[in-house]
Amino acid sequence: MPGIIMTQDNTSTSLIIPFVPPQVIRDPTIYTLEQTPKQPPISRISISWCRGNSLRLSFFQTDDEDISSGGKVIEVKLSSEDSGVDDLERRKIAYGSVSPFALLQSRKNSVAALSMMGSSNQFDWWQHVMEYSKEIKSLLGNPKPPSSSIIEDPKAVLETVEAPSSLKAAWELMETFYADKQAQAWLPERLVDWLGVMIFLIDYNSLLSSSLPTVHSKLVDLQNELVNNQAIEYNPKYWDGLASALAIGWLEIVVKLLRMHGSYQLDQLGNRETENGLVEAVAVLVSKMPRMRSELDDTKLGECFKTKSEFMKAWERWRGQIAKLDCSAFWVQCDHRQTREGLKNLLQVMLGNTNILSSVTCHWMELYISNFLYVRPFTMGLEGMYSLAQKCMQLKPLSNPHSLMGLILGILGENIEVVLAECSRAFGPWMVAHAIELFTAGSTQAETLLHEERYNLGGISMEELHRLVYAQILCSHALTWQIAPVYLASCTKQGMGLLEILLYKQPVQHTHLLLKVLEICRLYELSSISANIMKIAGVHHWKHGRKGSAIFWLQQAQDEIRLNKIAQQLFDFVGKQISDNSFKQWEGLIELLGSEARTVGGLEFLHKYRDFKKSLQQVQAGKAREAAQQAIESLIQLMKNPSTPQRFWLPLLHDSLILFNWRERPLLNVSQTNLLLNKLQELSIGRLRPDYHEPDLPAQALNSVRLALATNLGRAILEER
Amino acid sequence: MEKSLINLDKGTNCSAWNYCGQRLATGSTDGSLSIFDSIDPNSSSFSCTSKSKVSEAGILKVVWVPPEYGDAVACICADGTLLLWEEVGEDSQSIKWIKCKHFENNESKALDLQFGASFTSLKLVAAYSNGFVKVYELQDPLDLKKWQLQAEFQNVIDSVPMMGKPSCLSASISWNPQRGENNQSSFSLGFNSKLPQFNSSKVWEFDEAHQRWLPVAELALPGDKGDQVYVVAWAPNIGRPYEVIAVATSKGIAIWHIGLMPDTDGKLSVEKVALLSGHEGEVWQMEWDMGGMTLATTGSDGVVRLWQSNLNGVWHEQATLETASS
Repeated sequence: MPGIIMTQDNTSTSLIIPFVPPQVIRDPTIYTLEQTPKQPPISRISISWCRGNSLRLSFFQTDDEDISSGGKVIEVKLSSEDSGVDDLERRKIAYGSVSPFALLQSRKNSVAALSMMGSSNQFDWWQHVMEYSKEIKSLLGNPKPPSSSIIEDPKAVLETVEAPSSLKAAWELMETFYADKQAQAWLPERLVDWLGVMIFLIDYNSLLSSSLPTVHSKLVDLQNELVNNQAIEYNPKYWDGLASALAIGWLEIVVKLLRMHGSYQLDQLGNRETENGLVEAVAVLVSKMPRMRSELDDTKLGECFKTKSEFMKAWERWRGQIAKLDCSAFWVQCDHRQTREGLKNLLQVMLGNTNILSSVTCHWMELYISNFLYVRPFTMGLEGMYSLAQKCMQLKPLSNPHSLMGLILGILGENIEVVLAECSRAFGPWMVAHAIELFTAGSTQAETLLHEERYNLGGISMEELHRLVYAQILCSHALTWQIAPVYLASCTKQGMGLLEILLYKQPVQHTHLLLKVLEICRLYELSSISANIMKIAGVHHWKHGRKGSAIFWLQQAQDEIRLNKIAQQLFDFVGKQISDNSFKQWEGLIELLGSEARTVGGLEFLHKYRDFKKSLQQVQAGKAREAAQQAIESLIQLMKNPSTPQRFWLPLLHDSLILFNWRERPLLNVSQTNLLLNKLQELSIGRLRPDYHEPDLPAQALNSVRLALATNLGRAILEER
Repeated sequence: MEKSLINLDKGTNCSAWNYCGQRLATGSTDGSLSIFDSIDPNSSSFSCTSKSKVSEAGILKVVWVPPEYGDAVACICADGTLLLWEEVGEDSQSIKWIKCKHFENNESKALDLQFGASFTSLKLVAAYSNGFVKVYELQDPLDLKKWQLQAEFQNVIDSVPMMGKPSCLSASISWNPQRGENNQSSFSLGFNSKLPQFNSSKVWEFDEAHQRWLPVAELALPGDKGDQVYVVAWAPNIGRPYEVIAVATSKGIAIWHIGLMPDTDGKLSVEKVALLSGHEGEVWQMEWDMGGMTLATTGSDGVVRLWQSNLNGVWHEQATLETASS
């Protein structure tokens, strides 16, 4: 398919998994890019990572005369998780899992806080994890409500109810083995249930093996024949299917099939009484099978026993009844050969005859289940379960094992590293990041392994690594990057570092994105990154002519350096063109800055300077005295204010010459004149320093100011006398 | 999943994405600089919004200026000059790209350049064919015309008198991507030249107290110091207790761990943790992903390779991206 990376080794692989089982280095996965220029030769390739896991490649072609095209730029998303879930579905799962994950993390934090305070509030953490697990599971596909037709098809033995999801199957398996403490007492039973659930998965066959027959496929075959076959008991497939279904514990199907036996037909009952009695006896025994568990679904057959002793007693009794029936004299009276042999075969299955079990099952998992049910009833520990699984696999080897099989073996082998690797390989980073919560709830071995900080990983734990990997995948998509911070926040060592980079890489010239990014910065208290982002936005506006927005964002960023530069630019601009129309322009800009401008040095000065220039302009316009007095006030304020840069002193004083030489009377009093003279003195000394900035003024400016001030001083002294 | 984004004009020679992956600048053998933009941040459709002839010579490399300093790119031209072009406008109609700086260097050609932004300043490091490195500093954060030469030195640890005139084929500079407030300005640099003492990659750090650049680490084992360096790439560090730098030489791609704390001589501890082989011939480019976990490389074999470390710290090739035609 064009546009899809084809994997040559045909395995479902998520490309970005910095996790391979220890000591194992796989060969690199080879991808063939289909979108590259068709016309060789490619002279050069340029690579660039975009956000998250998307890689952008530029292909350049040699500049030959006979080549018409000029190369191409493509984007490759490297998180091609292949777990039978499409993009939309994956996003739904991603969004849905955020709040259960966040809730669990906050609970974890409060539990940690409580234990820090010495509170010995013992409670079962696993119950929180189970709550989390249930919510996650509900995202992975729900069983549809039972068939809506009221009249059940009497010949339908198999139903397909649920949408396929090996993701869900994997999740359930891990939940059972790690998180669900109630399941610990009857794990084998739960495993049997798990396989039982598989029947409802449409992809049951592809789950266990893609080409080999399975019990399920046998039953599907049989069901097709049931429709047109009246005397089903003559069909060997019927008995075969029965034995297989019984072997893997699908008791309901067995009983249903048995009741389709011809001897139940009304017209047959008379002359096939014994035969029918035997069929019914087997059906009853099947439906009375003892199970070691607290309860069974209403629709399920079998009798439950909670404790091991009760169960064992019932088990012995049940086996006794089967053995008794096996030796019964009625078999001799049953003259229907197929029925007799078929039923006897079923009894052998129930008696745990290993040869029969092996012959009626197809897949190792089925054989495995049948062993639990009939050979070594539900009392085995994990170790026993593991060696049994290996034995079954030897008996029924597989050429192309499904990913779930690897997962089961990892779980049974109590090897959390294998489980992680299988999870990661088959179901991708989402699964690993979320399933880790199950592992750590279940075993201290897993907890130690997952929480240990490793130098090789840059000082983080595996738990954190997998969260980072998942967050990085979220980052690569415009619709999911916003949820990445939740996961990054749970990474105590490196999460904030990655979050900062993620936020820095957002296109902040789009206001809605800028606001979103700032909101995230506020939530996670990333003030320096938010200042930087506002700076980027401010500079972008400034360079694109939106001076008001630019100043607004630079003020928000408290970027004094740039604001001072802007203030200087404005000053230079207005200093030259005082009577111009442009006065109005910059005046508007300062007005726009409002009172907030006072917070930043350079602009505070500009504000005062505006007042000064305004008054000065009025003076020149002939509105004499009052304006002149106001201009003097502004000048004194400016010169007193420490935020007025020294380089502006001389231009300010030079502009004020008209005031110093005021004809009517001196406008400055003695102390004011002294202040300005002192400043002038400071300026003369400052002039000797190497970093002195020479203003763009006539050479004699300083002297004329000094002269004017001296004259003014003289007049002021005289007047004050 | 693979998606085609842009068809490039004939003669296009180099490209660079800006900080957020929304704009692509490309340079061409005829000296034209093109800018491709996507209007909507969520869309992946790009169109050419500007094309200007910036040089009589072809453009060999384009580099974006960090976004705190505007939308601008630096171009290295085939005649060895460095140009700075910037997008400016008084309003949305008048936006255009203009030249704001031309760095001339009469005797030698510019081979590589990279910008390093700290909280307070922008520095530009350029490496030249005569084996010299020049560090320029921007004087006014709002004006890309005003640069000052801050330092000029050679990529050697002991300044021994040089025999003959060095002539370098290529150079590679990579800044420490960390933008922390207290972070020292530092970059790594390696040359591909005939003079062995220039070649090996060194880490240069700015000594604020004495206002000079000092070599604080050398990324080559004693026997490999003369190896020609094709590319260096400094990995982002989101919290590791050490820095990671990849160095591609004629012997392969080496992964180096660099300590964070200098010893009493002011040197940083270095450890070569892997030597990766895969690309036959020259390595063209190396790029770290945003978390610094995956290294993407490409070279004259026309293949893109992705490298990662496993849980035991063993580096290996994770995936290979081949073109359909190769």
